[in-house]
Amino acid sequence: MKIMMQLAIIFFICLVGEAIAAILPFPFPSSVISMLLVFCFLLWGPLKVYHIHKQTDFLLDNMAFFFIPPAVSIVENLHYMEGKLAILIFICFVSIFTTFAVTAWTVTAMIKLEEKRKERKRRARLAAKSQ
Amino acid sequence: MQDLLQNLNEVLYSPYFGVVLSIFMYQVGILISRKIQNPIANPLLIAVILIIAFLKLFDIPMEAFSKGGDLINLFLAPATAALAVPIYKNLQILKANLKPILAGTIVGSFASMAVIFGLCKLFGLDNTLTASLLSKSVTTPIAMGVTEQLGGIVPIGIAAVIFTGITGSIIAPFMVKLFRVEDPVAQGVGIGTCSHAVGTTRAIAMGELQGAMSGIAMGLAGFFTVLWAFLFAAIL
Repeated sequence: MKIMMQLAIIFFICLVGEAIAAILPFPFPSSVISMLLVFCFLLWGPLKVYHIHKQTDFLLDNMAFFFIPPAVSIVENLHYMEGKLAILIFICFVSIFTTFAVTAWTVTAMIKLEEKRKERKRRARLAAKSQ
Repeated sequence: MQDLLQNLNEVLYSPYFGVVLSIFMYQVGILISRKIQNPIANPLLIAVILIIAFLKLFDIPMEAFSKGGDLINLFLAPATAALAVPIYKNLQILKANLKPILAGTIVGSFASMAVIFGLCKLFGLDNTLTASLLSKSVTTPIAMGVTEQLGGIVPIGIAAVIFTGITGSIIAPFMVKLFRVEDPVAQGVGIGTCSHAVGTTRAIAMGELQGAMSGIAMGLAGFFTVLWAFLFAAIL
């Protein structure tokens, strides 16, 4: 599909996302609603990857570029961090380690749990067969 | 002569100025990061430092740069929406490991926010700073939304996100050994949940399965962080 049409589709979905965010009784980031909309439309079929792929590839390949303007405006907010930089870095470090460990261990535990369940089922089936 | 200079100064307030400066510095950032091949040489980080240096050096006010910046901001929501495509493309891998991935990202994103919240309170940081840090483990567009929603300062949130991504991607192989995580699925989900897109590039280098897992986890962790944010909004 033409790049113009692809851009229109993505922008339209973002517009719908903002409309939904405006209706919701609680604050919710409209960009995340748009992400959910794209996912659901792909899943249920009205939207195909080839309808939007040129546009989304462009956005995904250059993702970091779009964060330049908000990141640059940090110079206007530096006073908030004055004298607290070491604490902020410490908090970031600790949370990286704990988040990784908690996540990885949860995944490992779930995989082992599922394997055990499968093993139990397999044994039950074998026992039923041998009877 | 004075008039000419005055007229030229006004050109800086054209939206083209901010857009051109951003694109140029970002390309410089990409070039440098390709040369150095180290996570610290992050293109976004280099571009932001160069732009700030440029504005300070030539004494250009932030309002002039923002004219172009606002145009670029227009693509932030579409970029977030685009994140759905790679998750959809990896649907088979997601389905095959649905429960472990869901459990890992739900528990992991809560752990991230809980630890940050606890430490911020411990060090007596105010609510604005706490809100700016809370979503720092997820990808930038989602972190921006959550930070805004919680009443934090978006640029500080972004700085924390970039710092976390770069640090996470550097220490990822070390953490894998330290916490004895042997399963590639667990490695990938762990990296994606704690250090989003920047970490995912490192996960891809560790293996195809780790990379795909990290990419999926990054999107899901972002989504669950938005949901957990309601809880933290209530106690903030």
